[in-house]
Amino acid sequence: MYDYIIIGAGVIGSAVARELSKYQVKVLCLEKENDVANVQTLANSAIIHAGHNPEPGSLKARLSLWGNLLYDDLERELNIPLLRTGAFVVAHGKEEEKDLDKYVKICKENKVPGYQLLSGQQARKIERNLAGSITKVLSLPSTKVTNPWEVAFALMENAIENGVKLKLNHRVTKIIKENDFYLVEVNHHINFKTKNIINAGGVASDDIGQMIEIPPFKIKGRKGEYYVLDKRNIGFINHVIYPLPSERGKGVLLTPQVHGEILIGPSSEFVDDKHQASTTQKGLEYVKEHSKELAKNIPYNQIIRSFAGIRSTSTYDDFYIQESKYNKGFYYLGGIESPGLTAAPAIAKYLINDVIGVQNHYLINNQFKPYRKAKVEFHRLPLNDQKRLLEIEPKYGKIICKCEKITEKEIIDAIHGLLGTHTIKGIKKRVRAGAGICQGGYCEEKVMKILARELNLDPLDIIYDKDNSKLFLSESKVEK
Amino acid sequence: MIDCIVIGGGAGGLAAAIEIKRLGHNVLLIEREDKLGGILNQCIHNGFGLEIFKEEYTGPEYADKYIKLFLREKINYLIDTTVIDLYKEEDIFIVKTSSETLGIREYKSKSICLSTGSYERTRGQISIPGDRPYGVITAGSAQRYINIDGYMTGKRVFILGSGDIGLIMARRMTLEGAKVLGVAEIMPYSNGLNRNIVQCLNDFDIPLYLSHTVTNIKADDSNHLKEIRVMKVDDSFNVIKDTEIDFQVDTLLLSVGLIPDIILLDQLDVEIDPLTKSVKVDQSNQTSIEGLFVCGNALQIHDLVDNVSKESQRTGKAIDLYLRNTNHSNKKISFIPGVNIAYLTPQYIDFSNPNEKVVVSFRPKKKIEKSLLKVIQNDRIVYEKKKMFLLPAEMETIELDILHFDENQPITLELEVIS
Repeated sequence: MYDYIIIGAGVIGSAVARELSKYQVKVLCLEKENDVANVQTLANSAIIHAGHNPEPGSLKARLSLWGNLLYDDLERELNIPLLRTGAFVVAHGKEEEKDLDKYVKICKENKVPGYQLLSGQQARKIERNLAGSITKVLSLPSTKVTNPWEVAFALMENAIENGVKLKLNHRVTKIIKENDFYLVEVNHHINFKTKNIINAGGVASDDIGQMIEIPPFKIKGRKGEYYVLDKRNIGFINHVIYPLPSERGKGVLLTPQVHGEILIGPSSEFVDDKHQASTTQKGLEYVKEHSKELAKNIPYNQIIRSFAGIRSTSTYDDFYIQESKYNKGFYYLGGIESPGLTAAPAIAKYLINDVIGVQNHYLINNQFKPYRKAKVEFHRLPLNDQKRLLEIEPKYGKIICKCEKITEKEIIDAIHGLLGTHTIKGIKKRVRAGAGICQGGYCEEKVMKILARELNLDPLDIIYDKDNSKLFLSESKVEK
Repeated sequence: MIDCIVIGGGAGGLAAAIEIKRLGHNVLLIEREDKLGGILNQCIHNGFGLEIFKEEYTGPEYADKYIKLFLREKINYLIDTTVIDLYKEEDIFIVKTSSETLGIREYKSKSICLSTGSYERTRGQISIPGDRPYGVITAGSAQRYINIDGYMTGKRVFILGSGDIGLIMARRMTLEGAKVLGVAEIMPYSNGLNRNIVQCLNDFDIPLYLSHTVTNIKADDSNHLKEIRVMKVDDSFNVIKDTEIDFQVDTLLLSVGLIPDIILLDQLDVEIDPLTKSVKVDQSNQTSIEGLFVCGNALQIHDLVDNVSKESQRTGKAIDLYLRNTNHSNKKISFIPGVNIAYLTPQYIDFSNPNEKVVVSFRPKKKIEKSLLKVIQNDRIVYEKKKMFLLPAEMETIELDILHFDENQPITLELEVIS
């Protein structure tokens, strides 16, 4: 019998898992995908917002302001990457300047630290590529950028170290309420017993709710499409550049990323199929068109990738973080769209301390270890450290991904780590092999061979991403 | 101190290193793979060597010829070693390498010959919309998987782009038992060599869809490629409505262009040519940085390896001159691609260079049946030649004698279409 089952191992589920591991509770996290952070957490803008957008007094406002601060703790404790970029919300001409005042007011009410109005000229002195048509800028210095899936990995790894169990490829198929516990059926044939369920199912959180009751909200999928600019354009812009928000969301942004790329996007469109994140001609064109209003001479010829993500927008117009009204011990984390990544660490604390009040029922875990060792990013280390490590581990000398300078040892560590992986994509998410300009054209084969060797698998069984997405169909020149 | 470090052990690097060593300098060649030969090792089809050896070889055979010559010269070389940093301190180049056996090392050299080849454009760079399944791979990656590793990525194949590697893979996969359903080319003409169109498509009844492109990609439930949509485009590459053809395929090979790999030069403030996407060079293939030479596909994309070898050998000779000549005064004037020229090399002509013969490589912008090639300086035609049947897919070379030019004015190359 578990005390808590968390459904979903995105950044929210992972944050909740770590927060729960601070208590003497038995926790299981169930993830339908074969990796942590595979859906919403994988495809978003990676921004830790300052709080200029959410309605004052809303849960979104409160938790994103708090979450923004908590990221400093996560950086210190878990070694997550964090860029302190600041952000500019830009206005073109008198009409938009008036709208900008609305957000100044929100900043004031939300107590956004350090916000300030700049003239277009002042802003262009700081960001030389800002579009010439921009007349006024709301500067938000507390805005930061992180890497969402690295945050989820860090949280989940730390949770596992502190006793949480994680099961991948475990899709919840049924929930049955018994007298004082729940029976959670997984993949149609395994059952787990638990006293409480935390539904962090992201785009599927309403479907999970549906398994025991009529959920208090419905999730609509809102697709956002993005372009990725090669990291050689580092410094093209250094702040997150926002247009004025609209009912479609925060609009198309320019966002510097922690590893040097620049994201352009997202578009914003409601879609019928909330599980399908494909890019479209129309969406990508929309992104290009709207980004032109933010900066001049965007080097679109340096795009190395495009992708889409689904935001789970709920019919309830705030984060829905509550216990079920009908089923005690069943907790919803619903409608966690932007600024969900920002709020994630605060959402976890709010749920555990305020909504559930775990401290009233369970003892504190005295063995809780808040710190997580940083992974070795070999080619970012000083030469002396590199030489010292090379003496112990010569495989740090072997470059596998030359675009990102990723070594064989880093890949081996990712395969056998706490959150090990057996997929090409898993390696890319953990160490960035294949994330550069050639997109794995050079290193995918090498990564495949290392995976096969380390996991003692036939190359025919190596998969790219989802189970069954095998790289190869057969051996060539072999009759079978 | 090393006289010249050659980076890259493929066709270009081998030919350059052999030449520099023969001319009496000490050379270090650095290769990141565990064997020499570069991309030739995966090109197991024939057609290599006709120009140089007057005989047809496969890629590995051609590589082997050069590797033997290279080994005979007793040139120092490192394999399984990646150059991770390249910079210049005063007159000396510092090359930082990383390998499993030697760890991180630094080598100093008077000159550099960069012969790092090219990388393939990917789906991301051409932004094909749709799902992002596995099965959409570059033709070169598929070539390595099949020819070196011995694995087939699928059995129903479509190819986007009619570059030579794509065409050769159409034949290769057919011979391995796959069904190749077609090749789509966004341009109204093929981007591959004519002989490859004939030998790889026509001979196997594989249809070529000119002025067509892939407009959507669909995945199956396990995120493997299931279907692609192909549509016709107009003259400005906009898709034309109601021209959809859907193909059920498990593999989409991309042969949509090679880009010179000069990422190593990122830290050096070297002059770039947006047309070749590589560096600007003079007739020695010397860049705007003194002592830094570039050759092979890292300089411009070649159709034939024979031309890579010849170009690199010339570069080797030029490096010899550079090393022997301590007085590096130069007098460069621009060599400009004019009407109907897609790009040309060299982009500069150095009149202080004793190489009077300048080998010029260029590609036409479009298919031209009959033309007059003109080299113009000060509105005066200095050189003129009739050129027939020019294709963007086929690189052209001419030789110019710099004695005929004024040392102070830019020179333009153009193609006048005649009927």
